Amino acid sequence: MDKLVAQYSRPPHQNEMYSEQEQQDLTASVPPLSLKFSLPPVDNRSAFLRAMTDDHSNPSCPIKLAHGTTTLAFRFQGGIIVCTDSRATAGNWIASQTVKKVIPVSRLSRGEDKKTNEPTPGLLGTMAGGAADCQYWLRYLSQQCTLHEIRHKRRITVAAASKILANLTYAYKGYGLSMGTMLAGMTPQEGPALYYIDSDGTRLPGNLFCVGSGQTFAYGVLDAEYKYELTEEEALNLGRRAILAAMHRDAYSGGFINLYHVKEEGWVHHGFDDMNPIFWDTKLQKGEFSNVTSAL
Amino acid sequence: MSNPFDINGGACVAMVGKDCVAIACDLRLGMQSLTISNNFPKIFNYAPSTYLGLTGLATDVNTVSDLFRYKVNMYRLREERDIAPQTLANLVSSSLYEKRFGPYFVSPVIAGINPTTGKPFICGFDSIGCIDFAKDFIVSGTASDQLFGTCEGLWEPDLAPEDLFETISQALLSAVDRDALSGWGAQVYIIEKDKVTQRLLKGRQD
Amino acid sequence: MTSLMGNHSGTIGYSFSEPTSANVKQHSFYPYTDNGGSTLGITGADFAILAGDTRSTSGYNINSRMVPKVFKIGGDDETGEGANIILSVVGFAADGNALKEKLDTMVRMYKYQHGKSMSVGACAQRLSTILYEKRFFPYYVHAILAGLDEEGVGALYSYDPVGSYEREQCRAAGAASSLIMPFLDNQVNSKNQYIPGSGEGHALVPKKAEPLDKETATKLVKDAFTSAVERHIEVGDGLQLVIVTREGIEEVFHALKQD
Repeated sequence: MDKLVAQYSRPPHQNEMYSEQEQQDLTASVPPLSLKFSLPPVDNRSAFLRAMTDDHSNPSCPIKLAHGTTTLAFRFQGGIIVCTDSRATAGNWIASQTVKKVIPVSRLSRGEDKKTNEPTPGLLGTMAGGAADCQYWLRYLSQQCTLHEIRHKRRITVAAASKILANLTYAYKGYGLSMGTMLAGMTPQEGPALYYIDSDGTRLPGNLFCVGSGQTFAYGVLDAEYKYELTEEEALNLGRRAILAAMHRDAYSGGFINLYHVKEEGWVHHGFDDMNPIFWDTKLQKGEFSNVTSAL
Repeated sequence: MSNPFDINGGACVAMVGKDCVAIACDLRLGMQSLTISNNFPKIFNYAPSTYLGLTGLATDVNTVSDLFRYKVNMYRLREERDIAPQTLANLVSSSLYEKRFGPYFVSPVIAGINPTTGKPFICGFDSIGCIDFAKDFIVSGTASDQLFGTCEGLWEPDLAPEDLFETISQALLSAVDRDALSGWGAQVYIIEKDKVTQRLLKGRQD
Repeated sequence: MTSLMGNHSGTIGYSFSEPTSANVKQHSFYPYTDNGGSTLGITGADFAILAGDTRSTSGYNINSRMVPKVFKIGGDDETGEGANIILSVVGFAADGNALKEKLDTMVRMYKYQHGKSMSVGACAQRLSTILYEKRFFPYYVHAILAGLDEEGVGALYSYDPVGSYEREQCRAAGAASSLIMPFLDNQVNSKNQYIPGSGEGHALVPKKAEPLDKETATKLVKDAFTSAVERHIEVGDGLQLVIVTREGIEEVFHALKQD
């Protein structure tokens, strides 16, 4: 009898509460960068994802992801220049002109709200391809870099950081990630270091990279003027000029020029400037871009 | 992305004001993402106050504009008078429908003032000649969605020529700045009775 | 690209396997419906507005004329009281609701456990991760999150379906976003506007964008929607306006054309 009473006198909704574990999962103060992704209930997931999100192979796909970019980075005697445009497109629609495609990586260097012009220690990552993929995985990389810093009491090398990212993209090969990113940083062990990592799992060290739909235009300018012995002033101007050329000729690049310089002490931000006044200055003052009419 | 209407890019818009009309277009010619030229006007003149804007596939823009130059010249020789915008509209419509099963990939826009009545006239077409008579504005090209938004928001009835110029310029520039395939400068015609003003606009070069 | 997952289902060529050539109709897995509609957000120095139309469509049909798209996050279950963050979702309404429920739960749990409300910045990052968790089976939604930041300034974050996000002054999403957004660029951010008489030709000085006051912003939102209703069939019926200020959240409905 007692057993019967016990069985039926429980509050009726007891089992409908969140379990301890579920509550933990829901509220864990660190969002679960847990690599637990929900997957569609189909055999061929990458084909499903392509049908839903790839506007190149399927222009009428329902979910248009942000694409299109020009980003560049090059090493020179004074460090590394990193420069990007700021446009996000979904098909022919310009979804945004103000995307921040340079993402500071590692703990103390979330430079977003920093007022001073002091160099900030840490790495820089660039964003090309799927905007969400780049934002999410560079944040994941930040987390890993911070953990490395805590465990080893020194900053992670660019080589190691880039390898974390490359291993990651390689593990997700075939799932449909889309990213072409450059990691730039300076450490006592390596000096100025620059790596290119993409969603196929490629990882390349190098002196000069351009990534995105406007890469060829940027390469055109960079290859003509680049040399390792560039002064800081010349290097900054070259980075800016290469992005400007790509913005002008590539329909999927444009907006603002986002310029960074990585030095020994850390990176310095050199502005997020509208390309239009810069373009007209370049044209009217220096006489470049003679293909454009200035008659009004 | 092999829709013939979206290969070269471009935008065109026409608006009615008080005793005046305006027609404006961008200047880009591209091949998909590559910008080939930034001096490719898409508005053609067929009589003192009759203008035709053509967006779509660039080769057809050239072909169709030349075809109508020929047809309008023949009209002028036969009739010994300038063609009225209404007449051109019917000519465009029937000429496009002749190619019903192999159309020109263009979306034409007509703006003008009728030489006899002095009344403003605008209209637009689909690629096989269906006429859209509108009392406010007509848009066409790869930025047509954007143009619908800006025109619907900025346009008001009975604008004077200077205000109409300001309105059509703002509508076009803001619209093409949200379209990857058009822009790179713009051209505006303000058509009043016995007076046409043409102006180039400084647009974003990205 | 090769798939690591492979395709393990019944592809082995047994002689008694069913013939697959003649008239086999393949049904693809399509789990989404576009419910149309549009949303819009504008911020100013001390407020944030989120607005959405209330029509719900599928194809050319209207499911309902009263389906709100803007939700209060982290407030009371029934009334939404106590919330200081708002979320708008447009796209597939079922995904939108699931997303709203999930974020709402997170924000309320945070409050119970930490004894303080979640900041809008933290909530923005959390929403991004929630969206990215379904990177390979996305929520078919465009979300906009709004509230006041730690300084009391209007904050607005816009998202793509898989969670890339950005803080902005204004953003339109959904079916009529391509109609509304260029209008907003012009009127809110003063794009393509110059200061009259400041020079001739290339010397003209561009007009700087100035923060709007609440009344102007509200008026612009209404203008944008009445325009969108004229030219887009999936937008109409009603306009839901939700405004966050230091005093709290205010919600009003206006009529839009029903044709």
